[in-house]
Amino acid sequence: MNLHKIISGLFFTLAMTLNFGFFYGDPTQLIEHSAYELFAAIVVNLIATVLKLGDRTQLGAVLLATSIVADIQLIASATVWAFAEYVIGGSSIGMEATTAIVSLSGGALLANAVSVILFVGDTLKSKR
Amino acid sequence: MNEQIVWIVLKRLRTPFFVIIVTFAISILGLVLISGVDDQGHPYQMTFFDAFYFVTYMASTIGFGEAPYTFTYEQRMWVSFIIYFTVIGWFYGIGAIVALIQDEGLRRALNLNIFRKQVHNLHDPFYIILGYNAVTKTIINKINGVDYRVVVLDKSPQKIEELVLENFHPHVPSSVGDATNQQVLKMAGIHQKNCKGIISLFENDMVNANIATICMLLNKKIDIIIKATSPAQVAHFKSMGLEHVQNPFEVISKRIYFGLTSPHIWLLEMWMYGHILKLKNRDRFPKGRYIIYGSGRMGKAIAEGLEKAGVVYLLKSFDSKKYIKEKDTAIFGDEEDMQTLIQAGVKESACIIAATKNDILNLTILNSAKQLNPDIFTMARENSLDDLNIFQAAKINKIYVVEKILADATYNFISRPLVDLFIREARKQTEEWAEIIVNILNNITGMNPKYFETEFTLENAYALCSELQRGESVTLANLRRSRANKEEMLQIVFLLLKRGDEIFLMPDSQMDLQIGDELLSVADEEVYEDFEYIINNIYELNYVLDKEEQHRLLWRHNGKNNIA
Repeated sequence: MNLHKIISGLFFTLAMTLNFGFFYGDPTQLIEHSAYELFAAIVVNLIATVLKLGDRTQLGAVLLATSIVADIQLIASATVWAFAEYVIGGSSIGMEATTAIVSLSGGALLANAVSVILFVGDTLKSKR
Repeated sequence: MNEQIVWIVLKRLRTPFFVIIVTFAISILGLVLISGVDDQGHPYQMTFFDAFYFVTYMASTIGFGEAPYTFTYEQRMWVSFIIYFTVIGWFYGIGAIVALIQDEGLRRALNLNIFRKQVHNLHDPFYIILGYNAVTKTIINKINGVDYRVVVLDKSPQKIEELVLENFHPHVPSSVGDATNQQVLKMAGIHQKNCKGIISLFENDMVNANIATICMLLNKKIDIIIKATSPAQVAHFKSMGLEHVQNPFEVISKRIYFGLTSPHIWLLEMWMYGHILKLKNRDRFPKGRYIIYGSGRMGKAIAEGLEKAGVVYLLKSFDSKKYIKEKDTAIFGDEEDMQTLIQAGVKESACIIAATKNDILNLTILNSAKQLNPDIFTMARENSLDDLNIFQAAKINKIYVVEKILADATYNFISRPLVDLFIREARKQTEEWAEIIVNILNNITGMNPKYFETEFTLENAYALCSELQRGESVTLANLRRSRANKEEMLQIVFLLLKRGDEIFLMPDSQMDLQIGDELLSVADEEVYEDFEYIINNIYELNYVLDKEEQHRLLWRHNGKNNIA
């Protein structure tokens, strides 16, 4: 057991769970998806990415790649939200923008899931 | 290697990135949670986008003012906290990145990368030189760009900097690196097809042995040119199968041996190294008793040469380090020293050789000997090229510069293989033979002729090779005619012809030539130019071979018939 493993495991899993928390709910109802949760998901994802930097192993490279995918998806989701709210305007955000925000985060969830599965797999493989 | 640089950068950026993300996240979250008031006095909650925008320009100290509405005091209190918070995080990040650019490790990795690319882009044959010093510098100056390209490795960064300042042209790729490290040798291109060989002339025989072993394992095809200073070490290298072992002391010993027993063989060798082709009286080694001062590696090697030549000698052991330590000076010649010289028999001897490790000691020993016996012949060992002027000024009869001998011998082996071969063959001949050769050369080509190596290939000798390809036979005698007037002889001497593994010393002029023959010839530059014309230009060759004349006669003959 080492501290680095605990911290990275914590952030990888937290990135996935927060992502899931945001994604879960009716994809047409933006009220069911909290902006705070998206913010938290982005921050935790970025930290998870930083923790994966500089690992020279094959696994490290794949983990970094999945993490960057999740970042791109989540930041795209937030960008769509900001764009729909300020640039398109109107009293509320349209249906198309709402589903885009949620489904983008869904994609990120998938990437995060892959990342966590790889991480767990690697842990199981090692003897100690 | 490129990969490695990326990993170094990424790993170093972990903490700065982490700090920036955390400070930004906390600041943004705080701004979103604290409520403000808009321009109409209604309560207003900042969105994530507003907060992100504000923090981004605030943290980088650009500061566009309070947006979207003027802040309340509550918000300003939070902002004054996060200004310090984010700016410190941001500056730490920038500082870390700047430090990374200046990082020694990263720079070394970048330099290695450049070095690897330069070596990889060498397409001409090249030698790897290990260690940069006066000897290897001389070698680089002689061969770089002329015959081969070179790559240099040295342990010390200062030496590499010196080399870079030298501005060799064409460029000499160089890198700091331990030559006993396989990884470093691989980077220097030991596996490349155009790597001809490796030159290792370190002071320390152990290091040379180590390098030779590694290089043999890494690439069997390359030449390994290595220095060894003791007979045991030379034997060890030969048993490893190394063809070319440089032992400067052995070279000196052989020169003295031939100088004593057959001066003309000695002259032929020295001429190849730039001596004029005439035996002067002051070049002759004196007959009589010899004294060798200093019984180190060189003293022993010389003693061996004298023994073989049957000369009476005294090998006097002399420890230069101990002498300097005891007397606290490197100047030889107090009462006690004079007494030892007299005891060694300076007054009855014909020659004294100073062969210690210290140049100043060598000089002063010879000076003292001259005071006691003005007629004595003096020879000195000189270790470093830097002191050459002092030695020349001291009017010493013969100076053996170890570094120069090493550099010259290595250069000959690499770039003048036929000369090297000629010297070795000549040593097997008799004094009478050598005297005849010297006379022939003097009569035909003068006192200071030059030597040239020619390989008969389509590239170097187009006309001759196309003639040979047609199945015509051409002899050396055919080629020895002036292109101005074919009845006259060209003033050129053919010393040696190499055909595969066969060596013909003074080749028979009626011998038929073949494509691929290598020829060592002696002439002055103008005559050699004529010779090159003859073997390259079809018209010149036809003229010299009398073929043009045949054509013309044939034509005339036909013409006459027509008239009749």
